[in-house]
Amino acid sequence: MNLRRPIIVAGLLLWSLLPLIWQLQTSFRTPDALVGGSLTSGWTLENYRTVLQGSPSFWRYMVNSALVGTATTGLTLSLAVPAAYGLRQQAATLKRGLLLLLVAAAVFPYVLLFLALLELARQLGWGNQLLALAIPYSGLSLPLAVLLLQAGIADLPNEIEDAARLEGLNLWQRLHRIVLPLLAPTLSSTAILVFLFSWNEYPIALTWISRSELLTLPTAMARIAGSSIYAVPYGAFAAATVLGSLPLLLLVLLFQRAIVSGLTQGAVKG
Amino acid sequence: MSSGGLQLENISRRLGARSLLHEISLEVPAGECLALLGPSGCGKTTTLRVVAGLDPVSSGRIWLQGRDITRLDPGRRQVGMVFQSYALYPHLSVEGNLELGLEIRRVTAAERHRRISTILELLQLVELRHRRPAQLSGGQRQRVALARALLRQPDIVLLDEPMSNLDAQLRDNLRPELRRLLCGGRHPVLYVTHDQQEAMGIADRIAVMSNGFIQQLGTARDLYDQPVNRFVAEFLGRPAINLLLPQQGHQLGLRPEHIRSVNTGGLEAKLTGREWLGNQQLLNLETKRGQLKMLTSADWTPPTELRVSWDQGRELWFEEQSGERVK
Repeated sequence: MNLRRPIIVAGLLLWSLLPLIWQLQTSFRTPDALVGGSLTSGWTLENYRTVLQGSPSFWRYMVNSALVGTATTGLTLSLAVPAAYGLRQQAATLKRGLLLLLVAAAVFPYVLLFLALLELARQLGWGNQLLALAIPYSGLSLPLAVLLLQAGIADLPNEIEDAARLEGLNLWQRLHRIVLPLLAPTLSSTAILVFLFSWNEYPIALTWISRSELLTLPTAMARIAGSSIYAVPYGAFAAATVLGSLPLLLLVLLFQRAIVSGLTQGAVKG
Repeated sequence: MSSGGLQLENISRRLGARSLLHEISLEVPAGECLALLGPSGCGKTTTLRVVAGLDPVSSGRIWLQGRDITRLDPGRRQVGMVFQSYALYPHLSVEGNLELGLEIRRVTAAERHRRISTILELLQLVELRHRRPAQLSGGQRQRVALARALLRQPDIVLLDEPMSNLDAQLRDNLRPELRRLLCGGRHPVLYVTHDQQEAMGIADRIAVMSNGFIQQLGTARDLYDQPVNRFVAEFLGRPAINLLLPQQGHQLGLRPEHIRSVNTGGLEAKLTGREWLGNQQLLNLETKRGQLKMLTSADWTPPTELRVSWDQGRELWFEEQSGERVK
């Protein structure tokens, strides 16, 4: 029996999972156990208690992040889908130009924008408005979202839509009954990416939000880590990271089912 | 304009400087099946899309069952179309594929069910009705596409190379079947193909197209025996027509099956090759008037030097430059 493959796989798994396991075990240890304790002692749930019973509770930050993430994803997709669909109908040269522009926008380092964004937020009175975060987040996610979706739409055969037109489906019905169902895999992977960006975003959240009950996860975690200059609360910080990544894990598992490959197989040709 | 059937009146379609269709006029009465035959890029699919309303016309008029449909939305034309790729909705079952269009048209559930059952039965799809397109064979997909096109009781049926994704044997079997289902009904049928055998097997009449023009329209027999120009003569018939070296601005065309060997007179020929066709053989001959292909019985062993001739009545003469038939 060939053992090389299992060993390589196990090595890769260790390589990628070890930091996570380390983080997980840190979140269950007392501060003393972290520095030279034995594995049999020093286990505790205290870190989680600290994080969850803080004021405001960690749950609050999760809810905040989830609200912003959902709003961002919803806003981004509802703008990106029509944009990507419209791109397909454009003449080739115009389309190429627009795509280049989108790529440029997608790779632009957005940190350069955040001072300007802060100024905007001040002018518009959007500081300390939780859902207002969804607006810059959507703006920053849109280029990539449109690029991904238009690639998915470009893969759909034109004749399927022609057939739908002949059957009397109007633009909205075609989008709703034909294009979106066929686009489900692209749609879900795009949604995940957008949600992830919003979930992880730091500089804008840091500058726009100062009231502690409105913080999102990354900024809240930074506050836990930086609460004292004499002792870094490793355990509490690890517990916060673990809790903060659970919803994402859940989301990916959930969407995984929607990302059914080969949905378009058999639409065209034999 | 007379009512019934399809009439195209001087249909042109231009895209920028390019002319895709040039003054196409034709008439297909109800119950007739007309094949549009030609090489790729000749405008046959464009003609179909124009009739369906998927592509706009630059000028001209389209009449269907006595209605001017030139500017009508495709969804309101009562056109049933079978696409080359079949274009089934991959996320819906066979039944779902059939039902969507009826649902959009607000056909009642009971009526939808009745019509779908009828068509499933007619096309022997009852057992497959819960399958997705991906779970069907090429021939089954074609039947579903056909069912979808016929379901709405269309005023015309359009087919765009419906056989091109099927293997040769299935194609031969399906031809009579397709003819039975499509032709002779209350609607006209337009059938696009680049395969002359398919056109002859299915259609009542054939329009040969090239470069956006209809070169000739008539029965298969007309086109074969009395082609109006060299293009039509060359496009129809396998093995292809012989075109001899031009003489005084004219070129003689001779079908391979019209050439026979003679003992005296005729044209001197040298045998350069033989192709075995099973029931017949094709001889490649070299003569002073050019190369000739000659179709003969399979069990004859030809000498290397022979003399060939033909009936004058079989001669097709073309003008060398324009390719127009002169005699």
